[in-house]
Amino acid sequence: MAVVPATRIYEGTRIPSPCPTILEIDPAQHNLEDILTINFGPNHPSTHGVLRLIVDLDGERVAGIRAVIGYLHTGFEKNMEAKTYWKGITYPERIDYLSFQANELVFVLAIEKLLGLETPEKATWMRMCLAELNRIHSHLVWLGTSALEIGAISMFWYAFRERDMVLDLFEMVTGVRMHTRYFQVGGLAEDIPEGFYAQTRALARHMPHAVDDYEGLLDRNKIWLERTKGIGLLSAEDALALAQSGPMLRASGVDWDLRKAAPYLAYDEVDFDVPVYPNGDVYDRYKVHMDEMRTSARIVAQCVTRLEEMRGEPWIADDRKVVLPPREELHTSMESLIHHFKIVTEGYLVPEGEAYVAIESARGECGCYLVSDGGTKPWRVKFRAPSFAALQATATCVRGTAIADLVAVAASLDPVMGDVDR
Amino acid sequence: MTPAGVPGVVETLEANGETTLVVDPARIVEACTHLRDAEGFNVLADLCGVDYLGWGTKEVAGYIGTPAGRDLNAVGSQGFQRTPASKPKRFAVVYHLLRVSDEPARVRVKAWLDEDEEIDSVVGVWPAADWNERETFDLVGITFRGHPNHVRILMPDDWEGHPLRKDYPLGGEPVRFSGAE
Amino acid sequence: MALARKLPLVSDRPAAKAGLRTERTLWPDRGPGVFEQELEQIEDALGITTVEKAVAWAQSNSVWPDTFGLACCAIEMMSIVSSRYDIARFGMERFSSSPRQADLLIVSGRVTHKMAAPLRQVYDQMLEPKWVIAMGACASSGGMFNNYTILQGVDKIVPVDIHVPGCPPRPEALMEGIVRLHEKIRAGVPPAYEIRGVAE
Repeated sequence: MAVVPATRIYEGTRIPSPCPTILEIDPAQHNLEDILTINFGPNHPSTHGVLRLIVDLDGERVAGIRAVIGYLHTGFEKNMEAKTYWKGITYPERIDYLSFQANELVFVLAIEKLLGLETPEKATWMRMCLAELNRIHSHLVWLGTSALEIGAISMFWYAFRERDMVLDLFEMVTGVRMHTRYFQVGGLAEDIPEGFYAQTRALARHMPHAVDDYEGLLDRNKIWLERTKGIGLLSAEDALALAQSGPMLRASGVDWDLRKAAPYLAYDEVDFDVPVYPNGDVYDRYKVHMDEMRTSARIVAQCVTRLEEMRGEPWIADDRKVVLPPREELHTSMESLIHHFKIVTEGYLVPEGEAYVAIESARGECGCYLVSDGGTKPWRVKFRAPSFAALQATATCVRGTAIADLVAVAASLDPVMGDVDR
Repeated sequence: MTPAGVPGVVETLEANGETTLVVDPARIVEACTHLRDAEGFNVLADLCGVDYLGWGTKEVAGYIGTPAGRDLNAVGSQGFQRTPASKPKRFAVVYHLLRVSDEPARVRVKAWLDEDEEIDSVVGVWPAADWNERETFDLVGITFRGHPNHVRILMPDDWEGHPLRKDYPLGGEPVRFSGAE
Repeated sequence: MALARKLPLVSDRPAAKAGLRTERTLWPDRGPGVFEQELEQIEDALGITTVEKAVAWAQSNSVWPDTFGLACCAIEMMSIVSSRYDIARFGMERFSSSPRQADLLIVSGRVTHKMAAPLRQVYDQMLEPKWVIAMGACASSGGMFNNYTILQGVDKIVPVDIHVPGCPPRPEALMEGIVRLHEKIRAGVPPAYEIRGVAE
């Protein structure tokens, strides 16, 4: 199957020109005296965080839109330039705070690429397992909040019920529900506890039934279908021109998933399908999210099977210049003590160079561009945020929709403002 | 794999399995159009700016202390094993391109700029460059000629300075430890 | 019907002093209506402190939070509404998007200088009595982001009643903060804007 579909959802392009992210009022179609400009945010229950949309309305139709962002600009990249790599791993998690481990993973992978460090197999598979669990978590929160905004309020409680099950797993392994900081350069921070395998397997078995429950509530609900089918169209060409990735791209018919196209970790060794839907509307994006939850559950089950075979193997690389020695050794070995001291105070040195690593996070292509000057702190870290690109497509997707549909479209873009503003 | 025949390429570098094309900034739109049309790089994955001020100046490793506490704003406070290779100019604009097709590929395009040099905007080539260029202008201070909406995006509109430059301090408040003074 | 004698102003009554507001307190020249007359009879029967305690009990059991979720802490704030942690048992499941109808502002997440003005605007629109919980390390003190763009502590612009530490705080931790706020209200501690203003 070709990656880019041959059929088009609409003719031509709907990307506004000259500025792709601003939809200007078209005087030919709207009487300028009838235009009402309203401010949507930054404090609004339906904007998925601190997003501000300035919307020009002609009656109920959206005639013009522009997005104002930056209300959550945290200065991650500047802050990380002042921290050593080991301390810096705590930061990327807070960028995309719903799929936090994906950001951590991409930063750690970029450092390992520059170091040329090999991680043990157990760490690779566990990272994959946690990344997929995180994808499930992110999609559950997306489903709960988006359905809440569109009006299917009870979905929130159903989605968060499973979300708490996923967070229980994270807490079991890492000690913390969110922002786990479990990935180290070289592998994992600690070994995997014994109870993890059984509980994860149970969740992986339960998850497809939960997704069936959600679809049972929504899929044939007439109101849901009216509010999501045919809304927020984005064709494949426009999606690629706007650098969309992840569910946005797959719902527009483009068969592109970094886990298949450029496999990282051990994705080429697990068996899974990538959901692709042709219509490019809100309903298809919803279907992509649901199918991805099922796919992730399948991958998690395979990971657990493989991890159970690797009990007792090392979970972090052996390179003492980069990886902290085990604490028991600090009492007996002088070299371990010195290594520990050097790594914690000064930090380990990463060779000079630059690397760009991209993974498929829940929102799309999450990338980290890391420039190192050979020292202990990164010279420049740039995170390629999938939500940043997704929000750029707002003006294209909301052409001609009503104000009530604007909420549905904004929800389907799945923006996380921490990711957008960094 | 190295794209050949791209106009304006000054240098091609290969490292860590990645290809970097260093392009003359005056011909960036030509190069990008060629890469999009002839080579098939239909997605602009990322666009960012890097400030290399202070690159390679040897400093004390790790912690720099002052009487008021830790100095967060000291430029390049890191230790090296050897001084890194020097850079031609102060700023670099880096484009990460992706080919979404049956033969996926990635390439990095780099353009070196001096302090007040401008570069043409590639919004006409990939509309996705819109906000990325605004962000690069906002945080690093690089001007993109021909950008339709060349204003700040992340910082407040009346902010002065470009935060991601190396001579812009990290800011924040000094942390006082109890019992220190 | 004209009144023969001048009735005492409603705003002098103990219930009003305890924090119970009706629209007539905003119109001080107007005499009491039926509700206030009945309340006067109850107050005279029960005594002053019991009325204050009753008002405080009513207020603490129905604190309506404002949807002010900014970043990661907002996700944990949403999870206290979920069925496992269930904030509805405290009468707080009604998150109000309109600050006019909200009692409690849970600032959950990092506040940038750009967002500080909208935050203060939302706080100003809330009606007294109003409380503020600074949830998480970033709202309390700037958290791990000691830099040019993050406000180092939301108590620089709004008076804060409760700081909840954590990054992000567990839902149980946030609920501990909320329960302590309820205890404060019931104990008669005035909201933060009366005791202290904004931090330096």
